Amino acid sequence: MQPQQPPAQPQQAPAPQPSQGAAAVAHEITHGPSFAMLRVDLQPGQTLVAEAGSMVARHDHVAMDVKMNAGPGAGLWAKMKAFVIALIRRVIGGETFFVNHFSAPEPGSVWVAPTMSGQLSYRRMQGETLVLSTGAYVASVGDLDMKMKFGGLKSLLAKEGAFFLAISGHGDLWFNSYGGIEAIDVNGPYTVDNGHLVGYEGNLDFDIRTAGGGLMGFIASGEGMVCEFKGQGRVYIQSRNTATLVEWLTRIMPS
Amino acid sequence: MPQIEIGYRPAHSLARVMLQPNEQILAESGAMVGMSTNVHMETQSRGGVMGGLKRMFGGESFFRNTFTAQGGPGEVLLAQALCGDMMTLEMTPQGYFIQNSAYVASTPDVQVETQSGGFKGFFSGAGVFILKATSQQPGQVVVGAFGGLQELQCDGHLVIDTGHLVAWDATLEYSVDKSGAGWIASWLSGEGLVCRFTGQGRIWIQSRNPGEYGQAVGSMLPPRKG
Repeated sequence: MQPQQPPAQPQQAPAPQPSQGAAAVAHEITHGPSFAMLRVDLQPGQTLVAEAGSMVARHDHVAMDVKMNAGPGAGLWAKMKAFVIALIRRVIGGETFFVNHFSAPEPGSVWVAPTMSGQLSYRRMQGETLVLSTGAYVASVGDLDMKMKFGGLKSLLAKEGAFFLAISGHGDLWFNSYGGIEAIDVNGPYTVDNGHLVGYEGNLDFDIRTAGGGLMGFIASGEGMVCEFKGQGRVYIQSRNTATLVEWLTRIMPS
Repeated sequence: MPQIEIGYRPAHSLARVMLQPNEQILAESGAMVGMSTNVHMETQSRGGVMGGLKRMFGGESFFRNTFTAQGGPGEVLLAQALCGDMMTLEMTPQGYFIQNSAYVASTPDVQVETQSGGFKGFFSGAGVFILKATSQQPGQVVVGAFGGLQELQCDGHLVIDTGHLVAWDATLEYSVDKSGAGWIASWLSGEGLVCRFTGQGRIWIQSRNPGEYGQAVGSMLPPRKG
């Protein structure tokens, strides 16, 4: 039961629980940048957490358990809150807050892919915080804590950006973008369209506002809401925007 | 046998089929992009009009056109609806199982039959069924993917989301099952139905799931009026 094309990862070690300083889990991202797919080669003791519905394939001996994504350190209240939000989202559609846990008693692989066309990115988390937009989270391994973050009242005006996922801790993290992904190292102010925002480092400050200024600007500019970042840190943006696709499709749909 | 070249891979692949005089290729209806003027197209009507209607009402939309080069060589260009990769499978003695929407074209000696039974029943709602391609002679089948194509080697057991299946060696045994331990867990897991493969053989998967994509984008569209 060997996964196809074992990746050449010299630093791979059979670490039971990747924690600080431990080697990254063996993985490979293929078919990028348009149709990226992730393969993770699990060792006994390692657990892959993946967004519900993202599994493409797995070895049969890799066990799958559905769990609520409240994070290992979440208290009862946080878990209850996550459960209610998860249920609502499962019913009304959109990103679910359920995740699947994959683990194997012997080495085995799991293949995972996002829904939209685009790229997958990998980030080794070493204690910092990364905040991801709705739908950007794909999978993770290790000791990572995830918290739902409300984008503020203004964010409700925009179709995206009402909720964020703040991820912190040590481990491997994979996230996806609709289209290509660009990492921008911000130093000072920087403005990103809400719908193109994939994520940002937690030490950055940001403010959601209308792009054109005022209500008229919001309606007429076609730019909707933007995030204005301040400080120093990395921002990830995507080259396509789901809301724009939906608007375009809506216009050409027969009524 | 016609020569088949696939260009514009992997995102917008286009199959160019070069036919010698009187050679034929069968293709999924709607796949033709362009062809030489001496290529004659005929719609396959297996079982006549009534047979065709019966199959339409049975939820099947598997109709194929036959292209024949007349009086000289000719070419046919074929494409699928969605963005993604295409490949040519060389026929083996055992043949292949192919998910119906992945089928693009095949050479005339290849028998393509709709599989009846459990698999079809499970999928009929989603418009997905399974085709079996067999041939006593050398032959080719062109299959297309939504997204990238990945070959997986099954040595024992593999579990694959049904929405990511393209084709597999008919040497493999398969069964359709819920993804989790129970129906509630399967629903929450969002994985829907999976296909469990047993044995030795190759499986080709697509890196995107058309049904999932349709649901994600479709749910954001305004409801249709009327």
